[in-house]
Amino acid sequence: MAEHPENNQEKPGWADNPTFIRIFIGILTVSAIAAGLAGLNPAWHNPHPHFDVERAPVFFAIYGFVAFAFIVLAGQHLRKLVGRKEEYYDERE
Amino acid sequence: MSASSIFAFFAGNPAIIMMVGALMCIATPRHLASPILLIATALSAIKLSTLGLGEYGAITLFGEQIVTLRLDRLSRLFAIAFHIAAALNIIYAWGQKDRAQNFATLAYPAAALGGVLAGDMITLFVWWEIAAITSVFLVWAPGTRATYVSGMRYLAIQVLSGVMLLAGIVLIFRETGSLAFDLVGLRDASGAIKLSALVMFLAFGIKCAFPLLHTWVQDAYPKSTISGTIILSVFTTKLAVYALARAFPGTNELIYIGAVMTIFPIFFALIENDLRKVLTYSINNQVGFMVVGIGIGTAGALNGATGYAFSNIIFESLLFMAVGAAMFRTGTSKATELGGLYRTMPLTMTFCIIGALSISAFPFFAGFVTKGLIIDGAGGAGMFWIWLTLLFASAGVLEHAGIKIPYFTFFGHDSGKRPKEAPIGMLVAMSIAAVLSIGIGVFPEPLFALLPNQEQIAGYEPYTAYHIIEQLQLLLWAVLAFAVLVLIKWYPPEIPSTNLDVDWLWRVPGRALLSWASGASRATWNALWGIFAGRIHALMARIYAMHGPEGQMARSWPIGFMALWTAVLLGFVLILSFLG
Repeated sequence: MAEHPENNQEKPGWADNPTFIRIFIGILTVSAIAAGLAGLNPAWHNPHPHFDVERAPVFFAIYGFVAFAFIVLAGQHLRKLVGRKEEYYDERE
Repeated sequence: MSASSIFAFFAGNPAIIMMVGALMCIATPRHLASPILLIATALSAIKLSTLGLGEYGAITLFGEQIVTLRLDRLSRLFAIAFHIAAALNIIYAWGQKDRAQNFATLAYPAAALGGVLAGDMITLFVWWEIAAITSVFLVWAPGTRATYVSGMRYLAIQVLSGVMLLAGIVLIFRETGSLAFDLVGLRDASGAIKLSALVMFLAFGIKCAFPLLHTWVQDAYPKSTISGTIILSVFTTKLAVYALARAFPGTNELIYIGAVMTIFPIFFALIENDLRKVLTYSINNQVGFMVVGIGIGTAGALNGATGYAFSNIIFESLLFMAVGAAMFRTGTSKATELGGLYRTMPLTMTFCIIGALSISAFPFFAGFVTKGLIIDGAGGAGMFWIWLTLLFASAGVLEHAGIKIPYFTFFGHDSGKRPKEAPIGMLVAMSIAAVLSIGIGVFPEPLFALLPNQEQIAGYEPYTAYHIIEQLQLLLWAVLAFAVLVLIKWYPPEIPSTNLDVDWLWRVPGRALLSWASGASRATWNALWGIFAGRIHALMARIYAMHGPEGQMARSWPIGFMALWTAVLLGFVLILSFLG
């Protein structure tokens, strides 16, 4: 913000409001837990699962969490391998 | 053919109607270009709607009958999607004055449309090449040295695909004696790969951006203009998806190729700073889902692949449009230079989030109703690892397209930029795409009615309790993972950088290999030359020893010694002559 002094007096936007962030994360957490709990109800299970893991009530929740975390935590190291400075190609053309 | 029948032939093909519209905007005043393009698209759509399913425009060429227009359930689905995309792009770029871009804005979709409507391989090849040539104008449109060079690379690769397609057509015609564009299949009855089919398969694979053949997408697309990138994102890869669905459904290799396509772009998209480039990786990932569905080849998976292509054309465009609108107002599409735009671009932000929810396949958005068919197809075929891969890729889609795009454009760190809301044309196009994305999600029946296999889709219910719960579990817990990683500051910040992608192979191990090969060949040469030169030197030394100034053969002889030997020789000759 230092390079934009004209915005120094601006009120924080709604998405930057800590109350909004808390409410958003609260709703997200409650929804995620509710989706997990819904998986415990046998009446809402896939009647014709293709694989045994689908019978586990929270398989998709765990898999989604782990897959996302893995992508972010492992994927960022790809930068060390294929990342170059922004002008890399410009300097060569 | 009489003049009226020639006119009827051309006016009967929606692709040619579109192409005429594109050509007209070159010769008319610039301010009329957008209305002309939209009217031509509308006329083409009207023509398409009046055609029943069937074959049209049959002509005889060199004694062979070719069918220039075939409308069946598969081609009609793609044709409708292409019309929607063309119209959205024209509205988005409303008022655009650049003649070359205006021409390409419709000529390129026209060529792609002609390709999906082609009933024979010759017509397909002609439209395939026209699509390559017309689309390069969009890459060149910014007019910089970088876009010129990139456009040339793009053109070379696209023309290579065309040449391979032609080669495949010739080989297939020699084998079958038919030019009809139908099921080809990669293998013959004995299970061996057919060379003719392989050449055509690779031609489609280049345009479909198979792994390692994909870099032209990231090289060319993000360098185009704002509207150019959106147009490019739709047609070439989807034309290739159509071609694969037509010629190679049920090809096992496609399952694995598609699975790789769904995975590798996720990681490149994570570390990419240019959000338009992130979306080009998203194209690879999304097309991967379609390729897997085509490879599985069951009625459900094919319905899923083609239905997903249809809805993807809309919501992927919507994401490109939203990032394009931010770029139009701020002059950048880099995550490090964006952020906080939600304050002044709330409508664009809303449309972007709708696109993000759609591509992530949240219930009641377009991606949900069709992606499930593909994943279910993998499960139904008993392919556990492919099924797991597609679920993993779904979490990846959420990461780069569902969260990264809206988060870094409109939220994230505040860039301090306070641009105006997007222009009205862009807002109208985005709102239509957003309404369609929600509409398909909430009321999928009209899309289902267009899918190739009606018998299968009639028994499909996307909104079952378990499907919704499974999907919500996967996505909400993935979003929760994102929130946790951000809160504990483990989510990586964006860094201004260039990502080498496959180029890394040539520049790092490739260079090392080249360096090693160069050193090895030098060492081999030196060793061989050492052996050869040693022997030559030894021989020369012996000759020198014999004939050199101090050699045995070069020593000086006394005159008396010579006179003695002369006398001996003369005596010997005398004896011989005496005896004889």
